[in-house]
Parts: sequence; C-alpha cells; structure tokens
Amino acid sequence: MRTGVFFCQAENSSDELNIDAIAKYSANLPEVETVQVMGIKPKLEIKTLCDRIKSDKLDRVVIAGDIPGYYKPFFTKAMRLSGGNPDEIRLASFQEHGAKGEYAVDRAKAIVACATMGVPFGLAAIPGGNPVNHATLVIGGGIAGIQSALEIANAGKLVYLIEQSGTIGGHMAMFDKTFPTLDCAACILTPKMVDVGQHEHIRLLTKSKIISVSGKPGSYRVKIKQQARRVDVKSCVACGLCADICPERVESEFDAGISKRKAIYIPFPQAVPNAYLIDEEHCRYVLTDGEKCGHCVRKCPKDCIHLDEQDSIIDIEVGNIILATGYELLDVSKIAQYGYGKYPNVLTSLEFERLTNASGSTGGRIVTKSNRLNKRTNIEEWFFSPEGIPPRSVALIHCVGSRNKNYNLYCSRVCCMYSLKFAHLIKEKIPNVIVYEFYIDMRAFGKGFEEFAERIKQEGTFIIRGHSASVSMNNGRMIVRGEDIFNDRLVEFNVDMVVLAVGLVPSPGTEELSRILGISRDRDGWFSELDYNGSPTETDKGGIYVAGMCQAPKDIPDTVAQASAVAAGVLRSLTSGKGIGHMSSLSLSEIESRAKTIHAN
Amino acid sequence: MAIRVNPRFIDELDRYGAEDVQLCYQCGDCSTVCPHADDIYKFPRKSMRRLQMGLEEKIETTLEPWLCYYCGQCSEQCPREADPGETMMSLRRWLISRYDFTGIAKHFFKSGTTEVLAILTVSILTGSFLLYHGFSFGNINIYDGEGAFLPSSFIHRLDLTLGLVLVLFLAVNASRMWYFTMIKGMKIPVPWLLYIREFYELPWHFFTQKRYSDCQANDDQKMYMPWMIHLGLMLGYVTMLVLVMVFIEELQSGPAIQWSVHIFGYLATVGLLTGTVYFIRNRINKSYIQYKKSHSTDWVFVSLLFLIVITGILQHIFHRSGIYDWANISYVIHLMFVIPWLLRMPFSKWSHLIYRPLAMYFTGIQRAAYLRHELITSRLSVTIK
Repeated sequence: MRTGVFFCQAENSSDELNIDAIAKYSANLPEVETVQVMGIKPKLEIKTLCDRIKSDKLDRVVIAGDIPGYYKPFFTKAMRLSGGNPDEIRLASFQEHGAKGEYAVDRAKAIVACATMGVPFGLAAIPGGNPVNHATLVIGGGIAGIQSALEIANAGKLVYLIEQSGTIGGHMAMFDKTFPTLDCAACILTPKMVDVGQHEHIRLLTKSKIISVSGKPGSYRVKIKQQARRVDVKSCVACGLCADICPERVESEFDAGISKRKAIYIPFPQAVPNAYLIDEEHCRYVLTDGEKCGHCVRKCPKDCIHLDEQDSIIDIEVGNIILATGYELLDVSKIAQYGYGKYPNVLTSLEFERLTNASGSTGGRIVTKSNRLNKRTNIEEWFFSPEGIPPRSVALIHCVGSRNKNYNLYCSRVCCMYSLKFAHLIKEKIPNVIVYEFYIDMRAFGKGFEEFAERIKQEGTFIIRGHSASVSMNNGRMIVRGEDIFNDRLVEFNVDMVVLAVGLVPSPGTEELSRILGISRDRDGWFSELDYNGSPTETDKGGIYVAGMCQAPKDIPDTVAQASAVAAGVLRSLTSGKGIGHMSSLSLSEIESRAKTIHAN
Repeated sequence: MAIRVNPRFIDELDRYGAEDVQLCYQCGDCSTVCPHADDIYKFPRKSMRRLQMGLEEKIETTLEPWLCYYCGQCSEQCPREADPGETMMSLRRWLISRYDFTGIAKHFFKSGTTEVLAILTVSILTGSFLLYHGFSFGNINIYDGEGAFLPSSFIHRLDLTLGLVLVLFLAVNASRMWYFTMIKGMKIPVPWLLYIREFYELPWHFFTQKRYSDCQANDDQKMYMPWMIHLGLMLGYVTMLVLVMVFIEELQSGPAIQWSVHIFGYLATVGLLTGTVYFIRNRINKSYIQYKKSHSTDWVFVSLLFLIVITGILQHIFHRSGIYDWANISYVIHLMFVIPWLLRMPFSKWSHLIYRPLAMYFTGIQRAAYLRHELITSRLSVTIK
C-alpha cells in the first residue's frame, strides 16, 4: 500500500519532539512513499493535497501531529476528490498516545510506524501475557490508601500497605466534620481503619519508607525500610502508663502542633495499629544511647517496650504499586501579611480543625489562646486551654497561597468548602459570634456544595466578596482589612481569631518517591497521571497508579472514588493476567515488531 | 443612565504602560494594602475593573489615579501579577493626554520615537535661532551686558513669552480637568463655598506632598525616602523656575557670586541633582517595584532633566571662572534642552506638578460635598446604601 505521511503540528507543539528526526525515520518505513512536514498550524489547500495524492498515487495517508484529527477533514476531501478511499486516512496522534517526556521521540516514531501499517497503536503497544504478581503495594495510609487497600483485599488479593507515620488514617483522621453533609469524619474513617488493621489480606507496615524499586510492570521488587517502633505492637494494650512517666514533651503532629504529646505516644486513641511508639528524635534514651532515662521500660506492665530495637529492611515482590502519598499545607509563615506565627490567634485550617474536633485538646470548644509564663525559659507561651475565652468574632480568609503567582498557581479545591464548614461550626458552637468570610470566588462545585454555601449564608455569616490581604494588631485585638466588593466599601473588622485557608502542596516525600519510581511530576509537584481525561488513575509507568491528593488536590468523595477506581485497575490486571501497564513498558523496536506481526496476520 | 463602553480602551491603555490589567481577578488585595484607598476613593481594584470593562467615561471623570503615589505595595503582593501600581501610573499618563486639549500628549505617550523626534526638532530650532541671534547681535566672548552673546534681558523676554504660553496651555488643561472631574464626574451639587473653604489644600499639597509620605510600607521607617527625594526635586524645580522667570538678570550678572540670589540656585541644584540621579539610578537598577517598568516618557523625563542640570552647572562654572566663550556655548546647549523641556511640559509627565495638587484640592471639595450631601439626605431620612 503506497502511503504518504504528513506532519501537521498544532501551535502549542512541545519542544521535546524533533519532527525532522521523526520524519526521517518514517521515510525509511516500508510502504511509505512520501513524507512531508507541513509545519506548524499549516494552512492546507485541498487542491494541492489532491495533486499530491494523485501524483504519488497514494493509497493511504497518515496525518501525524499533536492533534491530527483537526486536519482530517481536509485530507478526507482531498482523498475523495482524487478517487482514493477516505477510510485509509490514519491518524498518528502524539498527544493522545502520550508522546511526551523522556522517550517522546521514540514514542512518536512508534505511533507513526503503527499508523503507516494501519495497526491501532494500543494493540501493538500494550504488552500482554506478562506473569503478574498478585500482591499489591499501597504507599500511604490515608483515606485513599485505606480505600484502595480494602477494595483489593476484599477481592481476596494480598495488599502491603505502608505508612510513614505510626498510624494509618492520614489527614482525614484529624478532621472534625466533612463537607457538605457535616458527617463526622472519624465515624466514616475509623471503621475502615479497623478493617485494615484486622484484614487477613492486608499486611500493614507503619513507620516505613520505600528505599528502592526494581523490576518491570507485573513484578516489582521493592525494598522497604521499617523504622523501629520500639514497642511490640502485638502485646501493647495502649494502657498509657509509659506516656505518663515520659519526661519529654513534643508538639503533637496529629494535633497539628496545637497540643503536646510525649516522646512515647499513641497518635490518637483510635490509631491503627493501636499501640504506642517511640519518637526516636526526641526520646532521651535513644538520643543518649541508653545512658539516661528508660523510665517507660520499667513502668510497662506488659514488658513490650524494647528501646534498643533496630530498624529493619523488608524485601517484597508486588505486581502493582498504588501511590497515595497525600499532601501537606503550604508553609504559611512565609506569607508575612497574615501574621501567622506573629499573632497567636492566627491559625491554619488544620490547626482549627484540631481545635474544633471533640477529640482535640479543648474537647471541641473553640477558644482563643491563653498565655502563661514558662518559668524555665522565661518566655511567654500561648496555648489552647479548655477554659479559654471563646472568640467574639472570627475572620476566615480564603485562598491563602492558592491561586497566587507568588506561591501556588493552582486552586487547592477544598478551601472554600471547608471554610464554609468552619463558619457553620463556629456559629453552631459559640452563641452570638460574628463570622466574616473573605473570598475571591466561591468554588462550590460539587454535589450539594452550592446548597451548603447558601445555607451558611442564611445562617448569618458575613460572606464578603473580596480578599483580605492584611492582618494587623491594635490594642490587643486583631484587625482584618479587606474590600467588600459587592457592597463597594473598604472594611475593617476587629476579630479575635483568624483562620487561614492555606493552600495545599504535595507531601514532602513526593519528590524522592518520584525519583525512586521514575514517575514524572507536573509543574506544581503533584504526580502526573497518564492522561487527565482518559486514564486519570494511571501513571506513565505501567503497573503504578495514583490515588487521592498526591495526583492533585481533591476532596474526600473524589479521593475515595479515585482510590476505588485504582483498585479496579489493579484487579483488572490481576484477573486478566495480561495487559499489565501500558505502552511505555515496551521499546520502539518491540512495538515495531509487534505491529509487523499484527499487520502480517 | 446608559454608560458607553469602549471595548478597545484596554488595548489603548496598553500603549500607556498598563499591560497586565486583563490578568486581574478582582480579589481586592490591592485596595486593602493601599495606604490611600478610603471609603470614597477605592482604588486600584476599582480602576482595574473599570479598565477591564472599558468604562472610559468613568475613568475620565475620576480623580483616583492622582491619589496614588505608586509605592508599589499593591503590585508587590498582587496574586495575579497584574501590576495595579503600574496601571494607576498608566492611567495618570492617559489622564494627562485626556486633559490635554491639543492632543499632542497622546502621541508622545504612545510613541517614544515621536517624542524624541519632537524634542530634537525643537532643540535644533532653538539652537540655530540662538546661534543666529548671538552671532548677528553679539560677541561670543562677551557673556553679559553690552554686546553679549545671549544678553540676559533677551533671555528674560524669551522666558516670559514661554511662561505665558505655558500658563495658557496649563490653564486650559486644568480647566478641562476641572470640567471632567467636578462637573461631569459629580452626580451631586457642589456648593461654590466649598471651593473657597478647601482652597488651602492646593498650596499645602503643592509644597509638602504630604500624602506621598504616607506611602511607606512599614512604620519602622522614619522618613519615606522617595517622598523626600521627590519633594526636594520638586522644590528645586519650582525655585529654579522662579529664578529663571523673574530673577534671570541677577542670576546671569557678573562673574562674582551674588549670594542673595545664587544661594537659592545652589539649593535648587542640590535638590534637582539628587533627585535626578536617584531616580535614574533606581530606574537602571530596577531597585524597587515602582521602578521595574519604565515607560519611554519616564526615561525622557529624567534624562532630559539630568542634562539640563548638568549643562546648567557647567555654564555656571565657566561663567564664574571667566571662560566666557565656553560659558556661552554651554548656555546655548543648556537652552537647547530647556526650551523643548518647557514647551513639552503641558503634554508630559511634568504636568502632574499642577494636576496632583489640583486633584487633592478637588478631592477635598468632593469629600466635603459628599459629607454635606449625606447629612442633608439623612435628614430627609433616606437610607443610602
């Protein structure tokens, strides 16, 4: 079949693709008669195309480019006019088949090769028949990891769930209520956590990190480093006697730093595994190599504390890997105008979440910070006390560090809704409180979100369209200034508490993990999915999936939905036994030979 | 009342320097941090919005751009990098061209080449006229008095003629400004008494530029440096203008220094020199956000002024040290910069010397009028929202 290849690039064609090299390659392909590079955004004339097809006696035309479908009508018409078969117009779409990144040129060549042979790219490029290891590794024990692990384990397959901290649960365990239904977050999450802890098909590894990954889709060998917990999980009954006697006081990560814990601690009472653990960065015994302290060992009635336990390395083999590493908050102290860290009652959203949570240090009372003089250091320190004074007025500021060219360019997607939720919680818990919400655009986009926003407005919260860019202090009260755009005035409110809806950034280990696994990240640092619309759960490496926030900011329902979708992808690969991963796992020559076989048959 | 929308307005303003207005998403951060925005004059966000919507008429009648002294705080923290500070600056340029009845200012602002060419033309014409006049009626070796190359009485006449032209141009432009802002722009009646009552604002702001000093970003600074420099530059300029217009004959007499007149000249020179050097250096180094983007007119402004100051100093030194021929040559060069500078004033950035104090005066009146109006209407128990 006499084939002509035409390269038509869209304007925003990526620089990675060397079109000339691809054109040279395609000229050497069998059956290719003519290759023409039409340039960027070509103005096609049907008459010239017609002449070309006639003079070269082309039976098949391949249009190659970023969005070749755009130029198809011109060629169809030309083909028809020149008497050819319009069905023999093949598209070689670089964008659709993911010709980007490191192997962009090879991928593009393979796409063109398949198109000239008339073989669908997917058919030739997706390998099949690899033996698949039926174990799955889930990295990250937040709601996404838990959901994926449970879905796969419930289908009877083995799951390794590894978590960096001492317990699974992630950020969702810290939340008080979920928006827009105002369900109790813990009531949804903790049963799932317990399921994970007790599941016969889930191997839970807490305090663990990936060191290296090798192998190919279907059989990955993963080396995991598990930090010593120094408390025996099986025999610990979480009586808490060890923590009572521990002399070290450290800021609690689970409480977002608003309360203190000991160096031997359980993150929260419902933690899974429900056992204490040692914080080796603060434990006096560990830091002094056993010379000092060790009170907890003597106190423990079950003899389950082993302070000399060493880290261990675990090697496992898995078929699929799921990334669910989540997010953290942007460091808001670098945005000086909000005075975070300078004024005690400026809180981040997570701190407020812990403050309003019934399991928090104030028992769910929303109070302003009290101060006391630390006699040892002689420094005035601010802390939340259950007897603190409730704020008379609170300002909630949206888009702190999000949608901002100086910090995060993207919308963090959850801040509008959780700030509205905060407004509701404050109004619910404190009588006669005044709540101001400063927003730029209200992004209430999900099911029931808009209704929720309306409800909050009707509850009497002052919702101000206009951002606030300054928090200052005057006579012991904070002043929040802003522009009320709808009412056309500049406003200045005295408030007792400011809650910042801080933007979200990928969790700190994301970069390291992307290097270990060879997964690309987008401009903002989140893991890149293979195709945003078509396969939002897969990465450009076969057998590795993304779920939850580590792909992009999303709320809990979306996270859970994506986690379940990932589980479906994993289970598909396990049951079909082939089609593991996708195109990127094959090299150019492999795809070529596969396409030839398919073509010959 | 229907408002005309000019959809091309934003593109037009692009030529005046407001390039990124379209990026603004109306968060209001700029108005919040602005030390000058208040309940009546809410800017820069509102101006940005009006620009985006093409409300040319609303911008034409507003005084808001004149209340901004471009401290750059708004641009610094703008989340969209839409540069509201530069937008206000561009609006001032546009307003200058709008107040200018001849329409010349528009061309100067839109094209740097036109402006430079115009200046060169006037400069060469001035130079040839002065040389022709000097060689036909005087001797290059005589500086002042009988048979001088450029006798000060002749220069005095020249200055006064120019001054008269300037005053005429500026008076027409200022009255246009008054018409736009106080007649077209005011929806409520302004009693004439207020014009008298608020008149003190005009000299007060002219000589102190008090509002500029409110620009400082934090309270730690005792003095706001750009304000001090700007004030020095302006006072120096005005002093020099008075000296040249009124006391030119004393200024140019004899090689001996006449302290009673020259002391003012020296003080003015210090102010002018510090100011021009400071602003040129900042514009080259782009040291503060307000100097990051320099419009062609900004460059023409500072460099021309700097050249005038330098040639003036040279001429003075040559004259005082008795090198009359060189003094005369540098005098011609000096005047070749001064005449186009003066003629250009009504069409250029320098006219803000008049417009800014006027704007302060007018805002004072407007404020009082709004206050009075609100009092009256509240007596009639009409709620205003």
